[in-house]
Amino acid sequence: MTKRTSKPVRLIGKGMPRVDADGKVRGTTRYLNDIDYKGIWHGVVVRSPVPRGILRAIVPGPAFAGDNLVLATAKDIPGENVVHMHDRTMPLLAEIGGEIRYRGEPVAVVAAATPEQAAAAARDVRIEVDELPPLLTLDEAVAIFKSAPGKLDTMKEQTIVKGDLAQGFTAADDVVEAEYWAGHQEQLYLENQGLVVFPQKDGSILSEGSIQCPYFPVHELNDPLKLPPEKIRVRQTPIGGAFGGKEDYPTMLTGYAALPALKSGKPVKITYERNEDILFTPKRHPVWVRFKTGFKKDGTLTAIECDYILDGGAYLTISDVVMYRGILHCALAYRCDNVVIRGKVARTNSFPCGAFRGFGAPQAIWGIESHMDAIAARLGKTPHEYRLQVHARPGDVTPTGQTLSDENGSTACLKLALKRSDFARKLRQASRGKLRKGQKKFVGVGLSFFAHGSAFTGDGEAKFKAKGRVELARLEDGKPGINIRVSSTEMGQGVHTIFTQIAADALSLDAARIRFPMADTGLVPNSGPTVASRTTMVVGNVVYRAALDLKNQIESFAALRFFKGAPAELRGSRLLSKGARPVSFETAAKAMLAEIGSASGFFEFLLPADIRWDQATFKGDSYPGYSWSANVAEIEIDPLTCELEVKRVTAIVDIGRVINPVTATGQVEGGLTQALGYAVMEKIGTGKNGLYDAARLQTYIIPTALDVPEYDVKFVEYPYSFAPPGAKGLGELPMDGLAPAIANAIEAAIGRRLRQIPLTPEAIFAALHPAQGGTP
Amino acid sequence: MKITEKIDVRFPRTLAEALRLQAGEQTRGKLLAGGTDLMVQWAAGVPAPERATSVWNLPELSAIEMAPDAIEIGAGVTHAFLRDCVQIRRHLPALVAAAATVGAAQIQSRGTLGGNAANASPAGDTAPALLVTGGSVVLASLSGRREVPLDRFWIDYRKIDARPDEIIVAFRLPPKGRAKERFRKIGTRRAQAISKVMAASRILVEKGRIVSAAIALGSVAPTPVRLAQVEAFLVGKKLSPKLIDEAEQLAQATVAPIADIRSSAEYRRWASGRLVRDALEHL
Repeated sequence: MTKRTSKPVRLIGKGMPRVDADGKVRGTTRYLNDIDYKGIWHGVVVRSPVPRGILRAIVPGPAFAGDNLVLATAKDIPGENVVHMHDRTMPLLAEIGGEIRYRGEPVAVVAAATPEQAAAAARDVRIEVDELPPLLTLDEAVAIFKSAPGKLDTMKEQTIVKGDLAQGFTAADDVVEAEYWAGHQEQLYLENQGLVVFPQKDGSILSEGSIQCPYFPVHELNDPLKLPPEKIRVRQTPIGGAFGGKEDYPTMLTGYAALPALKSGKPVKITYERNEDILFTPKRHPVWVRFKTGFKKDGTLTAIECDYILDGGAYLTISDVVMYRGILHCALAYRCDNVVIRGKVARTNSFPCGAFRGFGAPQAIWGIESHMDAIAARLGKTPHEYRLQVHARPGDVTPTGQTLSDENGSTACLKLALKRSDFARKLRQASRGKLRKGQKKFVGVGLSFFAHGSAFTGDGEAKFKAKGRVELARLEDGKPGINIRVSSTEMGQGVHTIFTQIAADALSLDAARIRFPMADTGLVPNSGPTVASRTTMVVGNVVYRAALDLKNQIESFAALRFFKGAPAELRGSRLLSKGARPVSFETAAKAMLAEIGSASGFFEFLLPADIRWDQATFKGDSYPGYSWSANVAEIEIDPLTCELEVKRVTAIVDIGRVINPVTATGQVEGGLTQALGYAVMEKIGTGKNGLYDAARLQTYIIPTALDVPEYDVKFVEYPYSFAPPGAKGLGELPMDGLAPAIANAIEAAIGRRLRQIPLTPEAIFAALHPAQGGTP
Repeated sequence: MKITEKIDVRFPRTLAEALRLQAGEQTRGKLLAGGTDLMVQWAAGVPAPERATSVWNLPELSAIEMAPDAIEIGAGVTHAFLRDCVQIRRHLPALVAAAATVGAAQIQSRGTLGGNAANASPAGDTAPALLVTGGSVVLASLSGRREVPLDRFWIDYRKIDARPDEIIVAFRLPPKGRAKERFRKIGTRRAQAISKVMAASRILVEKGRIVSAAIALGSVAPTPVRLAQVEAFLVGKKLSPKLIDEAEQLAQATVAPIADIRSSAEYRRWASGRLVRDALEHL
C-alpha cells in the first residue's frame, strides 16, 4: 500500500554537494576554450603604445594585403562611439584625433582565420600618437589633492553628512588623524577572459563566453553597435572564476569582437593569454583614505571625518558605484553622531579600474579598522574592549540615517570571535617588539570588525525589480522536472546548488528533478547581475517565491485533475490530498504539461514599502540588510628577516540564514585567502611606461596552499526576514577585513603601525629598521 | 599552436649523440633538460629556437657517484631526486635543502641541477649551495671534457663559462666533512617562490675558532656570489656575538643588490647580513 504521508523536502541549511561538482572534478565541464567552434575567426586587440596622447593615425602594414582577415577601427563602429557604463564617456575604440588616455587603450581590432595570422597582423599595425604627459598613479593624484584640492581631476564625488562635524570636534577631548594606502589587486580567476561573438542573419549578435553579468552587454552596447537590447543576446559558458573581473569587462570584449564580426560576417573569438589578461583588464581600485576622528576621554566617538579617494583609472566605467559602496562602509560599524565622509574618484592615465569582490569596501575597512586600533591605543584601551564599547548594534543609526534592525548580529560576531580566538589572553602575550625568553619570533594578534551591505546600494533593488522564473519542463531524460530561469551566474560560488536547494524546499520536490541551465538572455528574465552580494538574498528570494507560485499552480491543477477538486499539497515529490491515494509529481507534472503545455512561476523582487533613499544627499536606508563579521589574525614575525607568517584566522560571520553551510564555509575560506593575498603579498603598480609592473604569474604573487593559515569559520544567524529563506550577502564579506586584522596584529607584534598594504617583509623592515632605510 | 609544437626537438639516446647534435650549434638556449625555465621564457615572449636538443633522461647525466673527495652528481638529476636522497643529505645538506625550495613539487620533478645552473639566474635556488662546496662543473664536448670551478662558472648576468657546443654533464662537489652547512631562502611566499635573498654556508669551527668558511648569496648581484671578504674576515677568529655582529655588518657593506619587482635594494642589503648572522648563529 502506498504511504499516505510524505516527508517534506528540507535541503536549506544542509551541506548538499555542489550540483556542478561532478563535471568540474572530472574535467568534463567544457569552458570556452574547450569548445571546438568551427569556422570562427580569432580577434586580437591593437592597443595604444603610450599612456597618453593624441591618436594621429592607424597604419596597417603588408600583412593586411591577404584575404581572410579584417581590421576594425572606430570608423567601423555602426553607431555612436561610446560605451554606456555609468557616464557615457568611454569610447569603444580610440578615435583618430581623439585623446588616448591609457597605455593599452584599444585602437583597433584585427580578426583572422587563425590566431597566429591575427597576432601577426596585429603586430603589423603602426599606431601614430602625439604623446602628452601622463598622470599615472594615485600617489601623484593625492599629491595634487593635498597641495591644491581644486586641481584634482575627479570623475565623481559624493559626500555623506550626519549631524554637525564641527560640533563633534568641539565636543572631543582628543583627535587622531592618519592616512592609509592600498594598491591595485588583480582578480586572477583561473580561466582568462574570453568570448565569441556570432553575427546573426538579422543583423543582431550573439555573444557567448565567460561572462559574469549576461545582461550587461545587452544594455551597454546599444549606442556603439546601433542594436536594441533584444538584438544583443548573451549566452554564458561555464565560468572559471570571476570575482568581479568578468562583471564590467566582458561588455568591452563583446564590443571589440562584435566590430570585426559585423564587418566580416564571421564569428569572432577573443581570448586572452594570462599576460594580456593581467595587463589589460580591470583591477581593484587603489585607495588613499584619511580619517580624522574626535572622541571623549571615555572613548565615545564624537566626530568622524573621512576623505576617501579611489584611483579610477582613465575612465569612470563603474567606479562611481565602487566609491559609493566605499564611503558607505567607511564608518558603518561604529556609533558616532557627527560624520562627514567625502568620496572621490580620481582620474589617472592608467587602465580603468573595475569590480572586484568587496567593491570599495575592503579599501574603506582597511582604513577604519586600522584607525580604530590607533584610537584605542591613544585612549589606553584594548582594541577589543574599545570595539565592544562603540560598535554599532540594533537600534543604532548609520551615517546615512538608517536605523539598524534587530536582524544585525554585530555584537554576536564580535563576542564569539573574541571568545573562540582567546583574543584577550593572546593580546596580553603579544611581543610589542620585545622577544620573551626562549622566543624566536615576535607574536601578535589583531582584530577587525565590519559589516557589508547586502545587495544594490540604496533603492537600487527597489528600482531594479529582479525578475525570475521557475518553470515546469521536460528534462533531458524525458521526464518532467523544473528549470530555474534567472540570470545569476555560477562562477564557483555555488549559486546553482543553493538555488536548487531553495527551489526544492519551496516546491517540496526532489532536488534531482531540478535543473539550473546556463544563463541565456534569450531565455531568462533579468534578475540582475551576479554582483553586490545580492544573489542569494535577492534572487534567492525571487526563486523561492516563483517556486511557491509554481507549486500553487501544480497543486491547483492536481486538485482538479486527480482529487475531484479537493485541496492538494505537493510534499516530498508527491501530491497529497486527504483520503486519496497520493499521485507522484511525475504523473501530475506529465499530465499538466500534456494538458496545459507549459507552466511556470514568476516573481519580481520587492523591498519593504518603507525603504527610503535619497541618492542626491545619500540619506536613508543605504542597504536592505547587513552582513557582519569579526576577524582575528594571529601572526608571527621573524626578527631575523622580517618575514611574516599568518598562523591562524578566526572569522565569525552573520550572513543571515545559511543555505548551505559547506559551500558557505568554502566561500569564507576562499575569500579570506584572497584577502590574505591582498594583505601581505599581492603587489602590482603602474610603471613609468604606463604598464602594470607585475604582469605574469611569476611576478604577481598570490598565496599558495602552503601560505594559507588555519581557519576557524563559524556562522551566527540573524536572518533577513523580509526575503525568505532569509539569507543576507556572503560573497564579498570575507574579502573585507583581514588586511587590517593583520596590520593590527603586526602592531601588537612589533609595536609599529603599517599604513600601506601589502604588508611585506620590506615594509616591516622599513618600520623596524628606519636607519637602514628602505622603501616598502 | 603551442610554442613547443613549433620547435623541432631532437631526442638523442646517448651523450655522444647529444654532443654531435650540439657541436654545430651557435647558442646554448637550444639545450632542453626539464624545460622548467625555457618553456616559461618562451611563453613569455623570449624567441623560441627552431630546433632544440633534449638532454632529459640521458643515462650519462643521471648518475650520482660517491667518492671520498667528491660526490659527482649528474647534471640531469632532478631537484625531486636530490630532495629525497638521504645519502646526499648527509654530505651536502645545503644543496638538498635548496633543491627542496625550488618551485613546487611539479617543478622539482622536472627541473634538473644542470638546468638550474645553465639558466644562470642570480636567483637560481641551487647556486649558492653549489658554490659553498668549492666544487666544479664538468663540461663535455666533442673535443673532450673540462672542469670549471663553480666560483668562476657564473661569469655575468645569465652568462656561464661554457661554449655553445659544451653540455654540462656533472657537478663534482666535495662533501662537507665536519663542517656545518646551512641554507635559507627568503622567498616571495612559501612555495612557487623566487628568492628575494638567499644564503648557503659551509663553515668549520674547531674549539670555538672558525677554521674555514664559505658563504654564498643569491639574488643580490648579477650572479650568485661568494662573500670572500666576509669569509676572510671570519677565518681564524673565535666565534662570539661580537664577531657575528661584525660579520653581519661586513656582509651588508659588501653587497650591492638592486631593487626589482620582488624586493627593495635596502631590504636585500640588510637581509644579506641577517642571513650571514643566521649561518653563524647555527654553528
